[in-house]
Amino acid sequence: MPVFKTPFNGYSVKFSPFYENQVAVATSQNFGILGNGRVHVLQLGPAITERVAFDTADGVYDLCWSESHDSLIVAAIADGSLKIYDLSLPPTANPIRSLHEHGRECHGVDFNTVRKDSFLSASWDDTVKLWTVDRPTSVRTFKEHAYCVYSVVWNPRHADVFASASGDCTARIWDVREPGSTMILPAHEFEILSCDWSKYDDCIIATASVDKSIKVWDVRNYRVPLAVLNGHGYAVRKVKFSPHRGSMMASCSYDMTVRLWDYMVEDALIGRYDHHTEFAVGVDMSVLVEGLLASCGWDELVYVWPHGTDPRAP
Amino acid sequence: MAMRDLVNGAASCAVPGSSSSNPLGALANTLMGSSSKTQERLREIPTATPTVSGGNLYGEQPLAALPGSELEHAQHSSAQGSEFLQGFRSVDQNGFSDAWDEIQRPQIPQFQGRDGLPLEQPFHQQDLIGPPQRVLSNFLHSFIHSSHGSMPFRPTSLPVLGLSEGDKQCIRDRTSIMARHLFADRTEDFIQSQVNALLSSLDIDNDVRARGHIPGRFSELEEFWNESQGMKPGPHGVDGWVSEFSQHQAARGDPNMWVQQFERKHGANGWASEFEHSQIASIDQMRGSSIPNVAAMEQSRMLAHTLAQNNDPKFQNSKFLQFVSKMSRGELAIEDNQFKPAAISKPGDWANEYEQQYSGGQSWGDQFANEQHLHGPHGWANEFAAEREQHRATEDEWASEFSKLNVNDWAEEFERHVADGTFADTSADSWANAYDEYLNEQVALKQKSGASRGLYEFSDLNPYVGHPNPLKEGQELFRKGLLSEAVLALEAEVMKNADNAEGWRLLGIAHAENDDDQQAIAAMMRAHEVDPTNLEVLLALGVSHTNELEQAAALKYLYSWLRHHPKYGSIAPPDQPENLYYGDVATLFNDAAKLAPEDADVHVVLGVLYNLSREYDRAIEAFQTALKLNPQDYSLWNKLGATQANSVQSADAILAYQQALDLKPNYVRAWANMGISYANQGMYEESIRYYVRALAMNPKADNAWQYLRISLSCASRTDMLEACDSRNLEVLQKEFPL
Repeated sequence: MPVFKTPFNGYSVKFSPFYENQVAVATSQNFGILGNGRVHVLQLGPAITERVAFDTADGVYDLCWSESHDSLIVAAIADGSLKIYDLSLPPTANPIRSLHEHGRECHGVDFNTVRKDSFLSASWDDTVKLWTVDRPTSVRTFKEHAYCVYSVVWNPRHADVFASASGDCTARIWDVREPGSTMILPAHEFEILSCDWSKYDDCIIATASVDKSIKVWDVRNYRVPLAVLNGHGYAVRKVKFSPHRGSMMASCSYDMTVRLWDYMVEDALIGRYDHHTEFAVGVDMSVLVEGLLASCGWDELVYVWPHGTDPRAP
Repeated sequence: MAMRDLVNGAASCAVPGSSSSNPLGALANTLMGSSSKTQERLREIPTATPTVSGGNLYGEQPLAALPGSELEHAQHSSAQGSEFLQGFRSVDQNGFSDAWDEIQRPQIPQFQGRDGLPLEQPFHQQDLIGPPQRVLSNFLHSFIHSSHGSMPFRPTSLPVLGLSEGDKQCIRDRTSIMARHLFADRTEDFIQSQVNALLSSLDIDNDVRARGHIPGRFSELEEFWNESQGMKPGPHGVDGWVSEFSQHQAARGDPNMWVQQFERKHGANGWASEFEHSQIASIDQMRGSSIPNVAAMEQSRMLAHTLAQNNDPKFQNSKFLQFVSKMSRGELAIEDNQFKPAAISKPGDWANEYEQQYSGGQSWGDQFANEQHLHGPHGWANEFAAEREQHRATEDEWASEFSKLNVNDWAEEFERHVADGTFADTSADSWANAYDEYLNEQVALKQKSGASRGLYEFSDLNPYVGHPNPLKEGQELFRKGLLSEAVLALEAEVMKNADNAEGWRLLGIAHAENDDDQQAIAAMMRAHEVDPTNLEVLLALGVSHTNELEQAAALKYLYSWLRHHPKYGSIAPPDQPENLYYGDVATLFNDAAKLAPEDADVHVVLGVLYNLSREYDRAIEAFQTALKLNPQDYSLWNKLGATQANSVQSADAILAYQQALDLKPNYVRAWANMGISYANQGMYEESIRYYVRALAMNPKADNAWQYLRISLSCASRTDMLEACDSRNLEVLQKEFPL
């Protein structure tokens, strides 16, 4: 599979849940420290082509596809806003929504995969906010973390449960029906940058930290991690469970590698991809095509490749 | 005002109504007027938006359908004026900020190359509108060139960057946060100076709005520090000063710097050289002393060194790391620059200076004498105040706040403290002691948690010590289901006969049934030491480790069980492989089950194994088979229930637990499990009753306390959380009778 070069530094990459040949990429100028951002929607084929791109005034740190409409994308912008784009409209008519409530950088968004009506945003203002596409203001604000919230993910089975990962060294489990978090997981000694739920066991969660490790937890017994996956040489930036194999996950790190793990087996590391030449910050696994991976990094390159092949192979 | 401020509608031009007075906004409005109105309408009627799916995009479900929304509303209605705010926000959302976006979008190409300009601009292009890529990267490149040509780099070109306050804040905040991800291995101090170096070379004050790190593990320290600051030198306004000071410190984003300073001081070695270094430097610069800057230079050099040491060519080539490190090196040239007064009179500097010089020991005396002339407490205070005054323009709020306070009083207080040495005693030392204590506690905690996994902890008061036959007594109590009593009796037995495998085994089982797996494992390990081939012990250890989700250990014991079983020993290869794989062990047990299909034990082990691999359907099948062979085994019913609960069949699980409890009414674990199953079904009130029942029988079941706490908060019974935290069973039992 070929490569796509973006003008800015990659920040996040997501496969469309509706079309196997579509990928959205969030990018930011100057490593996201200062400057513009751009959302790319890419078409996969013999070559990767750009279907459309949207510019933003500040960096784009993350994005997610709507689970209910195939043309909607929610982007998390560094200026603290969330912007909703409709691919079926021309770029001049976009964004169709700009939701600006977070006081600081938005670093993560996730669309509800069960009820499909709402999405969450994680921000450096220490809060998580719950939104629906049809409301101009957030439905709820979850403020408990003591430092930046980097990532938030809905539970794949329970429509009201989600997890958040924060720089306060905890991951928290929440139920939107409850006033506060239902569980605090002091998962690492260092900042936690990412978390994800197992797609096959609704009690299993993985956390990725600046301490270079990924830990897998059973939320029913959070004193001991199920597994500790060591191997990354720098902070682990993102972790993502496979939609096809319960114990498999992908991760990417500031050590510039993308790795695949199976936490159930003794030698958990089952794949290592060294194709990026700068920090690898975004990784995703296709729901529609088993084994198809995508990654992006600060080398401004987006790769899409089937597991087991060389991402750089033409 | 920079373009970016204008287009972003930064604070200074955020008043929406004033857009007409904003020439750019007016221009943009004129230019964009028609198109922005069209889009406005699109927004108002979003359902008219054509989409590929053609469905109704928005509002398919009324808001009330979204659970949890009522919680937010409750909060809003309770807060005065928040409705207004929300209204304002929504107005702002639909109207003004969109309008700003509108205006802003056409501006993007100006520094983005969207109109076909190449992204890498020639170096001479410095007539910049915004803070674009090309300047920063040019900055970076000129750094690279200066390092190659061994020319001193002069950041004179930097002012043309024209970074707006908003941009500076972005750089400051984002680099501070990112640096902590990049340099996680390094000390907080290193990271701070790294960021400071970068910021000062970009001419950015690391001031008020910068976001310091507040990692969870330091919060206690900071709290304590704040407490220790609570010395009250005078009645008026001094509290205000203290809070102002600490607030200002915190706002400056370097509360940790102080902490680090302390750590460094107590870490001794590194500090000495640092001190020497800054002494030399500070003699020159005593008036405008800039120890953090000097330290930053030192740290930049350290970073360069670190980078040079990293042999990974990828890292050598990483543009980002070059970006950071080269920027940092700009610090070297800043000596030629004027020091920003803000950097001189940072409150933090004072603390640093004081600390460093105070701890300097002998040389401190001389230094202090010198200082007296320059910076005697009064002088210092005056100078500080004076400098603050100068600073009104930039930080007038703080300055005016400060000048309101009686500086002299404070200075006197300070002097007095210095004179009688109480300052160090009351504040610094006690703080340091508390820090040491905290560290020791942490270590002790770690050791404890380590120890508790292997060591059996005996109860303090045991009435059965001295009993003529505690084993018999223990067995009897166990049979009657008085588990906590049985534990005591059996403890007395194993204290008397440490080699009694049966005593240890039964003790382990009693603990397991009492829902205390840690103690169960510890007891079973002792039993295992005494009698390494006891099948019941091996099986129990396998189950307990499965409960604790320790797969490797669980597999080891289950495998040993097979190895030592008279019937199946032949199936297992005699030499135990170093690493057991789940699949291999499962195959062996399946073979065993075929060999003897009517042996309930094999099915039990199979059930446990399937639990390990989370194949709950198969596990349930295995336990059901075992139960057909042995329907009176209450622990089997419990296992079946637990497995059903794990596979989200909580209703079935409750039936299984009921069977177990019918057979053994005092089975604490089954009571607790029952509670879990109710909680899983969202019946939190019910679950609380069962947890309380289990805890009434064994208050030492730590897991159950945790579950109880979760259920209490889920059932919104926060009023009972205190009773839970203080483990007040009496109150809980009264509140939640079963």
